Amino acid sequence: MAELLLEVGIALTGIAIAGGLATRSTLSVIPAYIVVGIVLGPNEPTSILGLPVALVGDREFIDVLAELGVVFLLFFLGLEFSVDQLLQDRKRITAVGGIDFLINFGVGAAIGLALGWPIVETLFLAGIVYISSSAVITKSLIQEGWIANDESSPILGTLVFEDILIAVYLALLAAITGGGGLRQAVISVGTAFLFLGGLAAIAWYGAGWLDRVFSTTSDELFVLRIVGLTTLVAGAALALGVSEAVAAFFLGTGLSQTSHVERIEHVVTPARDIFAAVFFFSIGLTTDVTLVAGVAALVGAAVVLTTLAKFVSGTLSGRVYDLTRRRSLRVGLGLVPRGEFSLVLATLAASIGTGRLGTVIPAFTVGYVLVMSILGSVLIQRADTITDALLSRTTSAE
Amino acid sequence: MTVYETDVPGVGKKFEVDLDGDERLVLVMHHDGKREFFHKTSPDADAERLFTLSGQRAREVGAIIQGAYFQPVELSDVEVPLGDAIIEWVDVEVGCGLEGQTLADANLRKRSGASVIAIQRESETIPNPDPDETFHAGDILVALGTREELDALERLVESDED
Repeated sequence: MAELLLEVGIALTGIAIAGGLATRSTLSVIPAYIVVGIVLGPNEPTSILGLPVALVGDREFIDVLAELGVVFLLFFLGLEFSVDQLLQDRKRITAVGGIDFLINFGVGAAIGLALGWPIVETLFLAGIVYISSSAVITKSLIQEGWIANDESSPILGTLVFEDILIAVYLALLAAITGGGGLRQAVISVGTAFLFLGGLAAIAWYGAGWLDRVFSTTSDELFVLRIVGLTTLVAGAALALGVSEAVAAFFLGTGLSQTSHVERIEHVVTPARDIFAAVFFFSIGLTTDVTLVAGVAALVGAAVVLTTLAKFVSGTLSGRVYDLTRRRSLRVGLGLVPRGEFSLVLATLAASIGTGRLGTVIPAFTVGYVLVMSILGSVLIQRADTITDALLSRTTSAE
Repeated sequence: MTVYETDVPGVGKKFEVDLDGDERLVLVMHHDGKREFFHKTSPDADAERLFTLSGQRAREVGAIIQGAYFQPVELSDVEVPLGDAIIEWVDVEVGCGLEGQTLADANLRKRSGASVIAIQRESETIPNPDPDETFHAGDILVALGTREELDALERLVESDED
């Protein structure tokens, strides 16, 4: 017990220090958590300057916390999912979401096919490079003050579209890879959608009931009920072979229709932050740096191609919203960061663990997310320099 | 006045308020209660961050703006209630007839009913001015009287040509 408690203490303190350093250098915290996981984890590097740093083992306890991190990331995604905004602006959101999906998913699929990967592995790769990071992008938008500008509309609209798509996509991938042949896959896809459909129905029509369940004046009871029910639903989903993350997403959308949203934001966010930080940390923990180095060429190629792809699709999306050239270019730069959802997909791949899913894809994703989350934040911070350079080349006046 | 309201997923809500001309005030309300204020010189301009308030502070500032701390009397002139009579400040404009007259010459009390209880001249105040005190352009007369009397006085000061 003492040993485990000490390890968890070291892990959480390491996460806290890394987060502090990242915030001070105005970079995203996600790569910092991963790096501290790599350093403290059992794989290389095991010593720095002669000091042993492999202090934290890959323990089941940390895995459970990390799993809760995935569950709550998706739960909050559902909770903050604005159905009203989607309906109000469905034409434009569908347009920018479609452009974003076709170009970026297309580039990801093309990379997979060019490498001669089988279909399932290609689907994972395409999803990983397609999905932007809501966490990194939202933080950067606030930091740069873009949140008050017009370019925030297409950026956030694209994220809303991606959020639904990733929920459906996770459900689909989890079902397809459930093992067995085609018939088995069809059955498991069916089961998944029945379960999720039931959950969605409860979420939509049971809003009044959910409202009453969570009505309490005590914050303590409130947070226990939310965390309890969410974990229970996620666990039940996983036991049925359905993606736990998607189940949590649907529960979140159900609660987004109740009067408790703001309170959940206030009371449950700290719990989500701890679990999510441990999730990123555990990604680093299980990462073998030598494997990442082995896929460096693939990471490099993907970084270049998918940065350009997002830049192009984002710029086009800005045009859909009738923005000026400069603002459209900003949309393109703003959507570059990739992060938590790519890692969620990689975790699913690792849990299946067949072929490249257990080795190449997780290693690739860690390297890719480390680069893209940092590169993405830097591109947003340096956006004015970049757009100036690009606009001065074009002769047409705005 | 138009207020545009948008949901910002994962952040909170954004409000945009049209100000005079093309200017816009943008207020981002975070889920944690933090409020960020931005200013746009035109709808197309980049927003400039003005300041950030915590939830608690925002409520206090909001109360001040709403007038819960101090409620100004929204009249064109500042007044202090004093029974039936009120005190009002009357400007002596450049080129008005009072310039150069003494209090006794102008005979304001007789003609309007309001009495001049003090004269503010630049940074000094002359309380209970003597009858031979001369009016200067730029003086501010502090006058006491009923609303009608003060209106009469204002008309006198504005039109006094003799």
